[in-house]
Amino acid sequence: MAQIPRPRSVLESLGEEIIRIITPVSICMFMVVILVSILTSDSSTTVSSIATIAYSETTSDTTWDKFVGALLNSLVFVAVVTVVTFVLVLLFYLRCTKFLKYYMGFSAFVVLGFLGGEIALFLIEDFDIPIDCITFLVALFNFAVVGVLSVFMSKMAIFVTQGYLVVIGMLVAYWFTLLPEWTTWVLLVAMALYDLAAVLLPVGPLRLLVELAISRDEDIPALVYEPRPVSYNDSGTSGGVTQRRVWRERRNENLNTGANPNLNDNSVLVGNENNALSNLNADGISDSNSSPGGDSVASLVRAEEGRVVERDSELAAPLLDRGMNAPQVERESAMTSENLLLEGMGLGSSGAIKLGLGDFIFYSVLVGRAALYDYMTVYACYLAIIAGLGVTLMLLALYQKALPALPVSIMLGVAFYFLTRFLLEVFVVQCSLNLLMF
Amino acid sequence: MEASQATTTENPNPNPNPNPGRNLNSISSSSPVWPTIDGSLGLSEEESLSYARRFYNFGFLLLPLLWAVNCFYFWPVLRHSRSFPRIHYYVLRSAVGFIVFTALLSSWALTFAIGGERLFGPVWDQLVMYNLAEKVGLTSWS
Repeated sequence: MAQIPRPRSVLESLGEEIIRIITPVSICMFMVVILVSILTSDSSTTVSSIATIAYSETTSDTTWDKFVGALLNSLVFVAVVTVVTFVLVLLFYLRCTKFLKYYMGFSAFVVLGFLGGEIALFLIEDFDIPIDCITFLVALFNFAVVGVLSVFMSKMAIFVTQGYLVVIGMLVAYWFTLLPEWTTWVLLVAMALYDLAAVLLPVGPLRLLVELAISRDEDIPALVYEPRPVSYNDSGTSGGVTQRRVWRERRNENLNTGANPNLNDNSVLVGNENNALSNLNADGISDSNSSPGGDSVASLVRAEEGRVVERDSELAAPLLDRGMNAPQVERESAMTSENLLLEGMGLGSSGAIKLGLGDFIFYSVLVGRAALYDYMTVYACYLAIIAGLGVTLMLLALYQKALPALPVSIMLGVAFYFLTRFLLEVFVVQCSLNLLMF
Repeated sequence: MEASQATTTENPNPNPNPNPGRNLNSISSSSPVWPTIDGSLGLSEEESLSYARRFYNFGFLLLPLLWAVNCFYFWPVLRHSRSFPRIHYYVLRSAVGFIVFTALLSSWALTFAIGGERLFGPVWDQLVMYNLAEKVGLTSWS
């Protein structure tokens, strides 16, 4: 007896996918806001890093001096990031994928172990938790090692991997909120512009990386967040899914690229009937799955050791639209855009949307910095970022290629922050004082 | 054609994998086909065995969290132990190891925290983390 497959509307599947991307971003932002709220002290500790190498802000400088100093800092930072990304492209071109993977694992270890340990120490001191050093070291060691394994191994439990990626994003974002204020804002805008240039310009490093990955049909080892693909209850879906996965693995083995241990298994192609044609098309889309952002994070982490920060570009995986959900031929042909990851959002080989870890980090930095002023700015910036993310997803659906995820959200977030701080707050405070509203 | 409606990710129906005789039954069959918690997105049975064994062995390097991840990842194996006997061997031992280690560690930590200086004397001040961190200089970003 055949069952009639229930037709699914695009809206259902699209909503589910958007939720699966927005949830971890929101969790990361929320955690950073909490950390910032708990750990701020009046004597703000500012880190000296490569982002403050040109100018360290003091409260006594004039506005213009601060602005120029922040601009110099950001330019230095963006320059370092560009250089690092080009080095990444070069290494990837020379097929040093193993080295990149190990570097990524190492940077994850440094972020989780050292950065996480320092933040844990701050919390312990703040709350006077009487934990002894043996327990603390064992717990930290466990946390860091399991985290490295989860980003290193391609087939760890999905939930564990996603959780650790969010934690890494949160730790790095908290570290960034310790930069001086003007530097942070100018840096955010500069990174948004850099992201735009690096992904869309033909000479941009991220675009080169993505194209390299596609042409070689390899995966870039990087830290990228990929949510579970939405499964559709169409007939034969599960069979299709399983088949697809096995097929994909075999295909990768045949390719024998030697690189790629970082296959995202979650990137099982979503829902489609199990016809070999769709499989072929689907696999034709390269899975660029990790944005070199991971490496950037690694370099970022390493730099952190010597208090130098190099930001990596990748974080944003290009956003690719998943055209796969509807079992229609024309959508399959639209799938030939690859999943490029790198900056922005990308489409995983399975068709799930991928978001680079850098996007997580910079969104959270914006919201964390907003939290240092007041919670009103936090709400406004959060809404602005989510709106920007939605716009980016729509553009992804429209253009079907890798897109930078930073520019729209960051620009909206920065605009909303300043509008809220200088206009909305005054309004709300005056209304409340006069018992008019709120 | 037999169309089966997969309702859970743990029970995909047509199984291309070494567990014969369990297909056709889509909705919440009693024994799962996939040994991992990710269902069809996770590992096949052979790979699961090697993963479970590796997690179990590495957990002995003072990594109880790895044992916990092992149990979490192969939760269907713990629930349906008869379907995956070889994997169950490792996962069960990981669970036992995790519980034992956690019991020991938490009892030590609680003794330390609750006992405090009364129990340990001056050594407590030397062992407690915030003093140690301050001594080593870790509490400021410098």
